[in-house]
Amino acid sequence: MTPLRITVNGREHVLPAPPETTLLALLREHLGLTGAKLGCDVGDCGACTVLVDGLAVNACLMLAAQADGRSVLTIEGLATPDALHPIQQAFERHAALQCGFCGPGVILSAKALLDANPAPTAAEIREALAGNLCRCTGYAKMITAVHAAAQALHGATDERSPRATPVPRLPLPGGGTGGPR
Amino acid sequence: MRAFKLVSATDSAQAVALLAEHGPGVKVLAGGTDLLVDLKAAPEAPAVVLDISRAADMKGIAATDAGLRIGALVTHGELTRSPLVRELAPVLAEAARTIGAVQTRNLGTLGGNLVSGVPSMDSGPALIALEARVTVAGPRGTRTLGLAEFFVGPRRTALAPDELLVDVVVPAASLGKPAGFLKSGLRKGQALALVNVAAALWIDPDRGAFRAPRIALGAVAPTVIRAPRAEAYLEGRAVTAEAMAEAGRIAATEARPIGDFRASADYRRELVAVLTRRALAAACDRAEGAQ
Repeated sequence: MTPLRITVNGREHVLPAPPETTLLALLREHLGLTGAKLGCDVGDCGACTVLVDGLAVNACLMLAAQADGRSVLTIEGLATPDALHPIQQAFERHAALQCGFCGPGVILSAKALLDANPAPTAAEIREALAGNLCRCTGYAKMITAVHAAAQALHGATDERSPRATPVPRLPLPGGGTGGPR
Repeated sequence: MRAFKLVSATDSAQAVALLAEHGPGVKVLAGGTDLLVDLKAAPEAPAVVLDISRAADMKGIAATDAGLRIGALVTHGELTRSPLVRELAPVLAEAARTIGAVQTRNLGTLGGNLVSGVPSMDSGPALIALEARVTVAGPRGTRTLGLAEFFVGPRRTALAPDELLVDVVVPAASLGKPAGFLKSGLRKGQALALVNVAAALWIDPDRGAFRAPRIALGAVAPTVIRAPRAEAYLEGRAVTAEAMAEAGRIAATEARPIGDFRASADYRRELVAVLTRRALAAACDRAEGAQ
């Protein structure tokens, strides 16, 4: 078995994996990164969403071998030791996650959107999240949170290497309670 | 998934050779959005999976003398973002954008969608309305054929077991041709088409008449089909809302839809009439915008 060479959250891993290993199984079972979730396992629910070379994909529909030589970002790669990523902060502030199972996928879909489109419309946010199913929180708060994250990130430098640039915690709007506006 | 042997090709020639070497039991993997779903459900693993996702000559979008060449491995996401596609054949970007969701569009390929032969595919109608051709490579060399002839039945194509779809070419004569694509599903996101329709046409500026109208219907026949009687009705006819509505009614008689749990056959025929009229109107709007 030829070892795979995959960069995950900025760190290069060289490891063997059987051919039938999906990228999701590699992340969860070989690397212990359980942020990406196994939901439907057929590309409908988006709980396994990760970014490969900056694009959102279903990790359940990609063989690990197809990620050989590529760069993967999972939810574990977003926060720094000092602070959550601004998208995570916005989801926290706007109570956009309830059970949280869909959260890693939703937040990575939002990251891919905001990397390509720093000031999306509500319609563009909806389109970007259409492949992420949520069964408890509902989508309205998520859309609000992505809007807020876009504003927080607006004018900020490139966030592709969040570990290199710690992001300070943002003040709550109006010194509020952290609940939705 | 059950264990299988994985082989990988870095170009189409190597892929064809590996296909021949491993025989009819080999499964071809590109974007994986269909194949991995199938393999997870299959009681037995295939002997060999041939990963063609790194075949460099099957990637990329380029304007050539023959037309717009789109590699079979181009993803739906790449189609939606390509400046060349948006400039020369924007209807392809519009159709690609209705497929699945962002994540599946970033994985799934145009070639994979076409070789699936699924009648409700969203890649087919717009390409057929633009009279696209496909290039197929096999051990006997390459051949080209019209995309309309490539589809031979539900989930069946003209591809021999030892052949691969290499690229799709939108002919130069169709580039810039005003076109529209409409799709109706049961919801907005991640929906299969109940019906999808593409229309492409020129407007004769002197006579204000339709010229070379092309109408393609999806999900209402065993394959994506043209609507030749509706096209013949429009040819040379003055551009009016009434003419477009009548063409829609004619197209509905050319559709041969099934009824299933998503929609009845009658409802699908109604959708053909409405979506054809709207696709024609969208193409006319684009023609006027270009003048």
